[in-house]
Amino acid sequence: MEKIKDIPVKGFIETSFVDWPGKICSVIFFSRCNFRCPYCHNADLVMRPDALQDVAWEDIASHLISQKGWIDGVCVSGGEPTLHPSLPDVFRFLKKQGFLTKIDTNGSNPTILKTLIEEDLLDYVAMDVKSCLDEQSYCKITGTAHMIDTVKESIDLLLSSRAVQHEFRVTVVPTYHGPEEIYKLARDLNGAQKLRVQNFSPSSALLDPSLQDLKPFSEEEIGVFQDQVDRLIGLQP
Amino acid sequence: MGSIVELKARQENTEKPSETTDLALFVRTSGEDLKGWDRQKIVEALVREASLDTKIAEEISKEVQDIIVKAKIKWVTAPLIRELVDSKLIERGLEDARKKHTRLGVPLYDVDQLILHPNKENANVPHGPEATNLTLAEGIKKEYALLKVFSPDVGDAHMRGDMHLHDLGFVDRPYCSGQSLEYIKKFGLHLPNSLSNAKPAKQPEVLLAHMVKFAAALQSHFAGAIGWDAVNLFFAPYLEGRSDREVKQLAQMMVYEFSQQAVARGGQAIFTDINLYWEVPKHFEDVPAIGPGGEFTGKTYGDYEKEAQRFVWALFDVYKEGDGTGRPFFFPKPLVHITEKFFRTEGHEKFLMHICDIASEKGTTYFVFDRGETAKISECCRLSFKLNDNDLLDAKQPWRMRFCALQNVTINLPRLGYQSNGDQEVMFQKLTEMMEIAVKAHLEKKSFIEDLLALGETGPLSLLTMNKDGMPYIRMHRASFLIGMVGLNELVKFHVGEELNESKRALKFGLKVISHMNLLCEKFSEQHGMHFVLEQTPAESTAYRFAKLDLRDFPDKAPSFVKGSIPYGETYYTNSTCLPVSSRENPVERVQLEGLFHPIIEAGAITHVWLGESKPSKESLANFVVKVFKETLNDQIAFSPEFTNCLQCGKTVRGLRESCPHCGSPEVDGITRITGYFTKISSWNKGKLGELKERNKNKGYFAIH
Repeated sequence: MEKIKDIPVKGFIETSFVDWPGKICSVIFFSRCNFRCPYCHNADLVMRPDALQDVAWEDIASHLISQKGWIDGVCVSGGEPTLHPSLPDVFRFLKKQGFLTKIDTNGSNPTILKTLIEEDLLDYVAMDVKSCLDEQSYCKITGTAHMIDTVKESIDLLLSSRAVQHEFRVTVVPTYHGPEEIYKLARDLNGAQKLRVQNFSPSSALLDPSLQDLKPFSEEEIGVFQDQVDRLIGLQP
Repeated sequence: MGSIVELKARQENTEKPSETTDLALFVRTSGEDLKGWDRQKIVEALVREASLDTKIAEEISKEVQDIIVKAKIKWVTAPLIRELVDSKLIERGLEDARKKHTRLGVPLYDVDQLILHPNKENANVPHGPEATNLTLAEGIKKEYALLKVFSPDVGDAHMRGDMHLHDLGFVDRPYCSGQSLEYIKKFGLHLPNSLSNAKPAKQPEVLLAHMVKFAAALQSHFAGAIGWDAVNLFFAPYLEGRSDREVKQLAQMMVYEFSQQAVARGGQAIFTDINLYWEVPKHFEDVPAIGPGGEFTGKTYGDYEKEAQRFVWALFDVYKEGDGTGRPFFFPKPLVHITEKFFRTEGHEKFLMHICDIASEKGTTYFVFDRGETAKISECCRLSFKLNDNDLLDAKQPWRMRFCALQNVTINLPRLGYQSNGDQEVMFQKLTEMMEIAVKAHLEKKSFIEDLLALGETGPLSLLTMNKDGMPYIRMHRASFLIGMVGLNELVKFHVGEELNESKRALKFGLKVISHMNLLCEKFSEQHGMHFVLEQTPAESTAYRFAKLDLRDFPDKAPSFVKGSIPYGETYYTNSTCLPVSSRENPVERVQLEGLFHPIIEAGAITHVWLGESKPSKESLANFVVKVFKETLNDQIAFSPEFTNCLQCGKTVRGLRESCPHCGSPEVDGITRITGYFTKISSWNKGKLGELKERNKNKGYFAIH
């Protein structure tokens, strides 16, 4: 518990019906991120974490314990949770309490991910992928250089790990993504259990507020992307 | 004077009005002719209606005639004459005679308003000539009820807003009815006033036609909801050998027939509930099944599981599609019973996913939880009849199963707080007194309905006296008498200083109040040999009425407790025992906390989970529903999304919007649940509009973030 206290929790949803398909889960948001994706909708968590109030870990723990039986699992999200070295302690605690666990990550810390998998602390990994898996594409979106190798390492880790369920997610934004990028990414992720195509959602709270007037893809276009992506990663239609 | 109606009368020959006979006034009568002035009419009416002796009646009639003559009134109306007579009765202190002689009616201005503007007391009444008739008739019957059916202390308690007598405009009918299709399957359709009688149906389509007509007939004899038990199971014997396509067609006909019945009484849709089961309920398993022609098929209902499942699946296929413009169907409300046996029945996972899909997509599904050995039939916004041993005996001959609630009386809980100035002992004393008045109201209504029923076949309720199986259709000795409540949350806040969801202390106090009411129900039931039960009042307009009256009568206290916006007049109290609609409880906590009250509210309770515009996955909802069954005592839940329907292009989209995202038109109407049913928001009363603005739509829990 002591080590866990070092991790600043900036948000807590007691009961979510949408963060883990089919499950009722709680979501814990950790602050800070090493990426600067312009369409990020958690800008405050990334850019101004100190302006957000901490949620006391004791409150979270006692709530989770009181809702055992109702809550199937806990989703650890951010920001980027793997930036916090004592993250495994969080998962050890959750597992000890008997919860299923899920992490939302950008894949920039394969070492910690590996620890979590090897210790059997994870049931589900949702990893965001940004664009084609090359330095230039990644740098353009994340604003951070030299990340592509670690990201690829995380991808390989997930693709080769049979014990952990996973999904990849790509948020598609007109001007950043077109069919070409999306399908190339899908081909590189052949063998994945799932690549979810998520539509960009304009709002004034984005990291780059100038994107708020950008018109997203239509639902129909997203549907076409998703069908094609499913085929390219090798899922049966 | 009984035959003379209002409207103008002409006064002629006003030059020499000295003798009675010279006063040549003409009055339009209900016989649509003009009658000459005749003082004797006043005398006759006073003797006949108010039992006055002739001498006083003569005196009064002369005095009234003098007034008319002296005033040289040019336009004499019948109501004016009557009021002048009444003023004379007042002068003489003949209060009782005045009451008997009084006139019920509606001012011209009000009729004008009614014809031009919609009625918002009940959002299920559209605006139109038939609806205006309904409202006018209700208005007169309401006055009649308060003067004639109920004693002055009961009437006054209603008028003051200490409590609310529901459906006063329907005082000559019982409140609601729940029944089984077996009655019309076995006996055919014999309606007392109908021109022809039908033998039992041989085809499912005909059975459906009988069901719809019988429902319409029942709607004309009850104030509120008409519920049907185990509809998919009782249709099953008619569906053998029918293709899936035919079954789907029948399902579609059923949903459309009921949802488009807004052409019936008062332009009002029949408030219809259909109870549905995936499994064959235990109490029907070994019951001989009735099939085409009203004949026993030689099998039991246990043998019809597959047919019943095909039908219920098809019904939800129809609900999923929505109406011609994709809107959710408002009626018939599908109530799916989740029971212990449900979880032991093959295919239940897939079916649960199917109905949760519709719950997420359209919100239509109601989940009714029957735990342990409980069996019930549900209807109205949340009312349910728990089946007791007698009922389960009836279930062996299911045509005997019919249930009714005679009346619903709701108590204004926050007012009890204001009146007792925070003294709990006084408050409980006052609550007891108010329950006593509610019981008195029930006794009076019961006696009135019994008088009507005693008139038998020639009486106004002949349908309910029909006797096909050795007992009248309405079984008075088994009727329920409902006592509801509004604003527990605000009462608790007044006494404890916190709302129901804010502390254990507040919650405990709330439970104490409801337990007290429940115990009183039990005591009165024993005392009177009647069945008094608590129900969560839907309170579509009552929550608004109580808040409005309390703001007027308790201006120093009520403003701190009513919900909504006082400057906009959009005020309300929290419904029944619910947590405040704005409370930030997540859905799990809401279902748990509200569920604590459900076991002590025997006649039904529900928790609404407002979805707003979010659309959770069916898997998550199914997961949630199973947990509500297993982990709580909650009685019934429904998920309520919101929609916007464009009046220009006709398209329906998720969420409440200012304008149509398809064609940009600002001519849109919102759709969501007002209380226990879906309606157009444009038909809502101001209190409910205030509530809608404050509803916690669970955004963080259901929306993608």
